[in-house]
Amino acid sequence: MNAGTSNLVPAFVVLQVGTRRIALPREGVAELIASPLLFTFPHTTPLIAGVVLRRGRILPVLDLGPGVSGAPSPSTRFFLVVERQISNAPEKCAIPVQGACELVSGIMLPAGDDGGFVAGHLDLNGEQIQVLDLEKAIAISAANKDNWVPELEELS
Amino acid sequence: MFSISDYCFVISASSVQEIRSTDSLGGNVVDLDRPVLQKVRHIVERDSRSYYVVSGYEHFHLPLSRPTSVLILRAVPVAVLVDRIEEMAEMRVLLGLPRSFCGEERVWYRGLTVLGRKVVPVADPRGFLTAEELRRLEEENPGLLQTAGHAVGASRHERERV
Repeated sequence: MNAGTSNLVPAFVVLQVGTRRIALPREGVAELIASPLLFTFPHTTPLIAGVVLRRGRILPVLDLGPGVSGAPSPSTRFFLVVERQISNAPEKCAIPVQGACELVSGIMLPAGDDGGFVAGHLDLNGEQIQVLDLEKAIAISAANKDNWVPELEELS
Repeated sequence: MFSISDYCFVISASSVQEIRSTDSLGGNVVDLDRPVLQKVRHIVERDSRSYYVVSGYEHFHLPLSRPTSVLILRAVPVAVLVDRIEEMAEMRVLLGLPRSFCGEERVWYRGLTVLGRKVVPVADPRGFLTAEELRRLEEENPGLLQTAGHAVGASRHERERV
């Protein structure tokens, strides 16, 4: 991740999921890891692509690709580890990402009420980046798992 | 360790009564009168006990596979069709399934383990047929499990007559 943020303005991590660049609030992001192996086994949970091993711990791999870009993410070695709250307890998950992630600061313009899983927008030197509400993105993508289409409009 | 389709699974040795080749079951198999579950179509009788035969690939929603072995379980009336027995392995750690997994796998697995740097799911013997599924099978095929031993004999007799 690239540094270069001020403590005075909110920070975000910009990541590439499939063909889309999106952002997540910095607070929910733990680290970027390289993991050579994705382990898969039968299950029925939407969006979960498998698990990776990280320092002896097992992290579920959460593929945002279907909901964000309309298709499963391409195979990758890099995962952004985020912390989710599930049943009021924290759990770390790995999101497959393509290429480098970028740590940026900026003021988020909130999305309207009908923003779906977009919490707001960031203006990065003229490029509009959508900031995801991760839990909403997971819930909406899982609910639409049989009808995955690109849900976000290109803004840039 | 056993495999079904392209996937490996682990089950504790203490929960397996016997491992047989599917070829050796032969006349010990009885068709269910009313197969209420896609994954269970037969009963097998071994040593005066009867077991529902669960198709492993259908249980785990996997593509059609070619089972060659059957795991006869100890504490539940279940025999599981699997493609292959891979090896015996020592399981040093059992890790809980991450909470992000919220589907049927919570019933299927006791958790995950790491064997030779691979993460493998640990099958729950009680997950192959839940209490509700057992109840439905028994309801639709009343007494069949208890009388399967006799049925096997009768069915053999029928076949001989035919």
